[in-house]
Amino acid sequence: MTKTEQPSRSIAEWVTFSVASLILGIIVSLVGYTWLNEKNQPPIVSVTKKQTIREINGQFYVPFEVVNSGGDTAESVQIMAELLINGKVTETGEQQIDFLSSGESEEGAFIFSQNPRQGQLNLRVGSYKLP
Amino acid sequence: MATKRQKNVWRSEINDIIRGACGGFLFGIPLLYTMEVWWIGSLVKPQLMMTAIALMFIVVYLLNQTEGFRKRRYSWLAPQPAMDTIEAIAIGLACSAFVLLLLRELTPETSLKECLGKIIFESVPFALGVALASQLLGDTRNENAEAQGSDRVNSTTKNKGDELHATFADVGGTLIGATIIAFNIAPTDEIPMLAAAASPPWQLAMIVTSLLISYGIVFQAGFSDQQKRKQQKGIFQRPSSETIMSYLVSLLASAFMLWFFQKLTFSDPWTMWLDHTLMLGLPATIGGAAGRLAI
Repeated sequence: MTKTEQPSRSIAEWVTFSVASLILGIIVSLVGYTWLNEKNQPPIVSVTKKQTIREINGQFYVPFEVVNSGGDTAESVQIMAELLINGKVTETGEQQIDFLSSGESEEGAFIFSQNPRQGQLNLRVGSYKLP
Repeated sequence: MATKRQKNVWRSEINDIIRGACGGFLFGIPLLYTMEVWWIGSLVKPQLMMTAIALMFIVVYLLNQTEGFRKRRYSWLAPQPAMDTIEAIAIGLACSAFVLLLLRELTPETSLKECLGKIIFESVPFALGVALASQLLGDTRNENAEAQGSDRVNSTTKNKGDELHATFADVGGTLIGATIIAFNIAPTDEIPMLAAAASPPWQLAMIVTSLLISYGIVFQAGFSDQQKRKQQKGIFQRPSSETIMSYLVSLLASAFMLWFFQKLTFSDPWTMWLDHTLMLGLPATIGGAAGRLAI
């Protein structure tokens, strides 16, 4: 093989190069897209109860869902649950979510030994910190 | 004649890509098993992602100027290192995205920003590994070619004792390599975390990926001594059986390391032993493949 033949890139190399450029291009433009659409607002964290409460071996499982509809990521999101029966706090629960970025939702469950349907169940987000 | 050359061109191109990807796996897998990097990826702002890509480009470009993952170098063509760099970064992005998907760190529920952050930050060591691929396990295939002629003659006269010896050397190399890489990962909390998220279909995917990467590193990537390996006179001489054998050895080593670091105890259910071991099996088998090449 002579030296004049070598420098020309083969079709195969052009194909891989174009695929590679495409991948890099997509990633860079997606980053640019999120940059432009960045909401400069603090986290807005809300917690909702799900309908179905399961009862297994005398324990009541109350599923919940946390959503961050704000802009920034919230760290160490603390969710608290209080079960009031006859106006008195009988049981409490606590859960911590490590990271909740914008638009992300996480699910979990609180477990009570008394039936939440017989009293009033309060779920709230206690606190979070900014990373 | 022309079609044959065409075929060779494609084959060598695919080999180049596989070599790059394997270098990336060798270098990038420990960081893929680090939850702090996932978290940084989750939190990172788009500005910083852009900076990361730009810095990655500069560093990989500098590495590609001295040594790349490709065999042929057209050093007199100025844009060549830049093109190699784009390819190296793309391989890094694709491979890290794939492994993050496999580890269930990326799911359809993950937000776009978080996906991008994780993929970009994990792809940095991957891209470095791609650029270092030829240096990590130098390619001496052509230089070896002549020496092999005499080797082949010798090997036919070798007896059964040598066969056993070669097998022990293989197992030893696998064990050493697997231990070097997996020992750093076994005591961390990532293994139970990842194992908790993996359902049986993902565990099967994990096994298939481990076998493919191991096969790629030893028999496909064209690293040093590949020809020698193909002629190795072990009991498990064929590439496929050697790959499976070394995977099993890596799994055994993984299970032992997890037990050693008290991550698994004998009172744990066998399903826990299985999923923890399979999770550690991927980095272990990558290390094992590198270990067999090094010996």
